[in-house]
Amino acid sequence: MKTLLVIREQESAWLLDQFPGIHPLLVPICNKPFIEFLVDFAILAGSEALRIVSDGGLRDVELYCANGSRWGVEISYGNINPADDTYTVIEKNRRFCLKERIMIISGFLFIRYDKKSDYTSLFASLQSGELLRCPHGSISLTGDAASVISPAGTLPFSLVALDSIGKYYELSMEILRSGLNKYVLPGYSSEADCYIGRNVIIPKSAEIQKPVIIGNNVQLLANTVIHANSVIGSNVIIDRDSVISGSIVMDNTYIGEHLEVENKIAAGNLLIDPESGSSIIMEDPHLLTAMTPSRVAGTLLRRVVHTFAATILILIQLLPWLLLRPIVGMQGKWKRKREPYYTALAGKNVTLTSTYIESNGSLSTLAKTLALDRFSLLFKVLSGELALIGNKPVRVNASIRLLPNRVAGYRPAVFSYAEAEDWPEFCIDTEIVEHYYAVHSNPMKDISMTQKAIFHRTYQNHCT
Amino acid sequence: MIFHLDTTTPQPLGVVLLKKRIDSNNSSELQKAFTQWLQQTNNFVFDCAELDFIDSSGLGAIVSCLRKALEQHGDLKLAALGPKVAMIFELTKAKKLFSVFSDRSEAIQSFSTVSPK
Repeated sequence: MKTLLVIREQESAWLLDQFPGIHPLLVPICNKPFIEFLVDFAILAGSEALRIVSDGGLRDVELYCANGSRWGVEISYGNINPADDTYTVIEKNRRFCLKERIMIISGFLFIRYDKKSDYTSLFASLQSGELLRCPHGSISLTGDAASVISPAGTLPFSLVALDSIGKYYELSMEILRSGLNKYVLPGYSSEADCYIGRNVIIPKSAEIQKPVIIGNNVQLLANTVIHANSVIGSNVIIDRDSVISGSIVMDNTYIGEHLEVENKIAAGNLLIDPESGSSIIMEDPHLLTAMTPSRVAGTLLRRVVHTFAATILILIQLLPWLLLRPIVGMQGKWKRKREPYYTALAGKNVTLTSTYIESNGSLSTLAKTLALDRFSLLFKVLSGELALIGNKPVRVNASIRLLPNRVAGYRPAVFSYAEAEDWPEFCIDTEIVEHYYAVHSNPMKDISMTQKAIFHRTYQNHCT
Repeated sequence: MIFHLDTTTPQPLGVVLLKKRIDSNNSSELQKAFTQWLQQTNNFVFDCAELDFIDSSGLGAIVSCLRKALEQHGDLKLAALGPKVAMIFELTKAKKLFSVFSDRSEAIQSFSTVSPK
């Protein structure tokens, strides 16, 4: 089976007004982008391919979902005209809709489902036609059923038309209160009704009540209280003595100190009352602020320091490289591979030439001890594509679900913090070490960490 | 800001109609004017029906007015908070400091029902 997802811009325009800059399909519901719920349902229903068609832009959705290999489905994209009816949409996507059964999800709607239910055999046995309808859309099936069995009673899924900020809030609260175990939600859950993401700092004086969902890179300060039925997004700071109850704090939001956010949606410097639909833009940055990556000064200083240090390293390594590279190369111990790696910017990759030197001879061991395998990468520091020290670059891999450049602090580099701390290359704690320094390091500390990384390589090669 | 004395209550009552915005540009004006109004009465109703926006300095000015009124053994009540302004009062917990009424007449009436000290 395949799924055709038909999204019309007009139906989701209200969401774009509320959360400008986020594509409506990527607006998080309980910290999970809306599109992921639809993809999950399509997979549960037995779909092997999903085509998203819209009369608006889908660029951000394409960047996020890519070809769907993260979910093990094939995702493609297409355009429609606002006036196209379902028949015309199918005609326009004839190649996709040929032969197999097609589930058509039309409209900006949320599907209530249960991940534990078996929808594959149900959908295989349902007769074609409209299955469910709500004011803003429907689910229908085309094609012949494998073996027609009328489902007993009502269908084990239902629709919610997402047409107002009130509905969005209600749906989030409904999932929090009674649907946490029905959907796959992001975060670590060691106990029921509690999902916590990565790099969440919770002081002893803070209080958290279930059910709750907290995203990645969240800092709660002293005496903060997160009451039940709250969703805290990623990259959020809740300042001291503030109380969040029954509210949604969207990604990249700072909540000031001594505040009480009750039954509201806070998104950057925007505070929304879902009940009345009214919203206010905060002009006081100490109350509510959007946290944009304002790292210009720090980034600039880091880049200057890294460039300077890389230049010195290049000058030091140049003569040994000129002498040893041809000899070790002729010995066949100098191996190179060009592969794409993720950069710190979402959607951008860099092609790097990684060098591997076999250290089974005196000259090749010397070359490795002098870190000549990193020589060519140092030029990438000068061009700003790599840092001198940071994270070990992650190779582009379509099966990675959480892209490294969506994690705060990811900075691909010539040397890694884990190397400096002498952690094994493939160890579960390596990522934690790198992430710690990525967040807590500074340009001057980077220099000493680079020295440590080079020292450890020298020491290891000397020992071997 | 429009101020007038309401004499329908047992004690004269200062009714202030706040307009448009109270922010860092005009919050000091409110505080200065309030000091003068205090010479005429110590009970006030701030009618916020036409108030569109308030920031932290405006909020600070209103809280300061309340404090001054309480020091003079009076009170300051708020009426007709719009949804946006109400959100700021709720967010900062300032709403807990004030008696809030849905409209001006209800707020004025509340002063009549309170027995004079």
